[in-house]
Amino acid sequence: MQEKLSISEVKHVAELAKIRISDNEQEKYQIELKKIFNELEKIEEVKDYDEEIIITPTEEKCQLRKDEIGQMVNPKDMLKNVPRHSGNYIEVPVVINE
Amino acid sequence: MNKYLDKTIIELNQLLKEKKITPLDLVLEAFARIEKEHELNAFITLNKEEALKEAKKLETMEVDNLLFGLPIAIKDNILTKNLRTTCASHMLDNFIPIYDATVVEKIKEKHMIIIGKTNMDEFAMGSSSRTSYFGAPRNPWNKQKIAGGSSGGSATTVAARLLPLALGSDTGGSIRQPASYCGIVGMKPTYGRISRYGLVAFASSLDQIGPMTRNVYENALFLNSLVGKDEKDLTSSKKEREDFTRKIGQEIKGMKFAIPNYFMSDIVTEEIRDRIKEVIQLLEKKGATVDYIDIAYLENAVTLYQIIAMGEASSNLARFDGIRYGHSKENPKDIDDLYYGSREEGFGEEVKRRIMVGSYILSGDNAKKYYDKALSIRSDIRTSFLKAFEKYDLIIGPTTTTTAYDLTDPMDDPLKTFLDDVLVIPVNMAGLPGLNVPVAFSKDHMPIGLHIIGKPFDEATIYQLASFIEKELNLDLNPKGSDENE
Repeated sequence: MQEKLSISEVKHVAELAKIRISDNEQEKYQIELKKIFNELEKIEEVKDYDEEIIITPTEEKCQLRKDEIGQMVNPKDMLKNVPRHSGNYIEVPVVINE
Repeated sequence: MNKYLDKTIIELNQLLKEKKITPLDLVLEAFARIEKEHELNAFITLNKEEALKEAKKLETMEVDNLLFGLPIAIKDNILTKNLRTTCASHMLDNFIPIYDATVVEKIKEKHMIIIGKTNMDEFAMGSSSRTSYFGAPRNPWNKQKIAGGSSGGSATTVAARLLPLALGSDTGGSIRQPASYCGIVGMKPTYGRISRYGLVAFASSLDQIGPMTRNVYENALFLNSLVGKDEKDLTSSKKEREDFTRKIGQEIKGMKFAIPNYFMSDIVTEEIRDRIKEVIQLLEKKGATVDYIDIAYLENAVTLYQIIAMGEASSNLARFDGIRYGHSKENPKDIDDLYYGSREEGFGEEVKRRIMVGSYILSGDNAKKYYDKALSIRSDIRTSFLKAFEKYDLIIGPTTTTTAYDLTDPMDDPLKTFLDDVLVIPVNMAGLPGLNVPVAFSKDHMPIGLHIIGKPFDEATIYQLASFIEKELNLDLNPKGSDENE
């Protein structure tokens, strides 16, 4: 069994996760991620199982609350945790071509 | 120093009612204890100013419930309005919530006093609390050892008798495992029993908040105050409130208990198996029956957990984008630099690894290969547990495979942290209630715990057995108390 992922596989996984990893971390992730992926493969060994799935482990039906106006967040409070804002607008870098 | 905080909740309530002590006495004593034991590193943030203010306010109020005026610790992944909530992560080290979690609202309604936010594994991802951005908490029985995780700070707080009550959260054993390592009582209630609103989500189908206390009765009493349907959490149960202490004190004669063979296999140290066997003998002597049974797919539970928990975590932690809250990269070149850079700088290694694996699991065809299949086998595990409960009142076994290990033990194996929780994970898979109660000490005097698993929403019967055992064994569970007796 292959003992580590290729560098391009590591880059792909990091890309999916939107996490930047530095060049000197790559080798560590090649080995660590492979180790976990090998573990996940063990699920292949389970053959005889019922197709029925469980998403939330409860028999109670999830009930939506009534669509009514309730507790509202005050914009001034909300902006306290926003790293960059201008007035009531949250600032982000330009996302369209200038 | 006063020693009020060594007293039981019932005793404290009596003293408060008779005005022999005030909530302020308890709060001052709590901070003095925390200060004295600061090297335990149990807390990330203390709430001293507000706690003192609240204590003074309570002096003029009537003592209207058993938990009135008691100091309490909250795990740092549960939102507390205007009190920093970090999830032990650099990502949130400046985050001040603007609302309270539903459980925190309930705690405030009962006039408990929040003393601080406890240390934990970063985003609750870990089994030793060593992934905390703020350094690991220490085990009060031996400060060179881990407290367990992820609710390690809460376990340390209660075990060291800094405070009588703490809240934890349990996604794959994070209440019960540190409770076992630290010699306290920790309950993960049935999935849906307690609202998750305001608990920073890790794996939404597994997460559950629960009480951590010095003894069984106080745990049940504390749980009474935390439960109930919450409109803000659609998975919270409609079940009526009940008194979880109601079966405490009842005999266990005629009760039927089961132990899954896997829980007593050689994955558990011989010493722990021997101590658990002694508990079994005690139960049999007292008129209960104990059978060994098989539960399907227990040996696959860790793999299922990795797939489901990491998959859900990658989705839940996608919200940390450096834009709305949390750590944000300085001077980003463009929007991608902001996303990637903020997450690179904000998350620690364990969290990054789990998000990466989770994103991979849910991508393209992998979702079917891994995630869907895991959900199917998960259903079989639950069915197998429910079938066992047609015949048995409770399922029991050891909580952990070893006692707490050294803080300096290597962290280079990414699988080790999951294997620490091999015995407690199946309970989250099945959504069942489970509790740790201390039953023995190892040769090096570290606590050993019994894991008691109940039917859905049958926490009361778990407390019945746990309190019976607690009373029979009558262990000295105060790390300081033991010293004084020597």
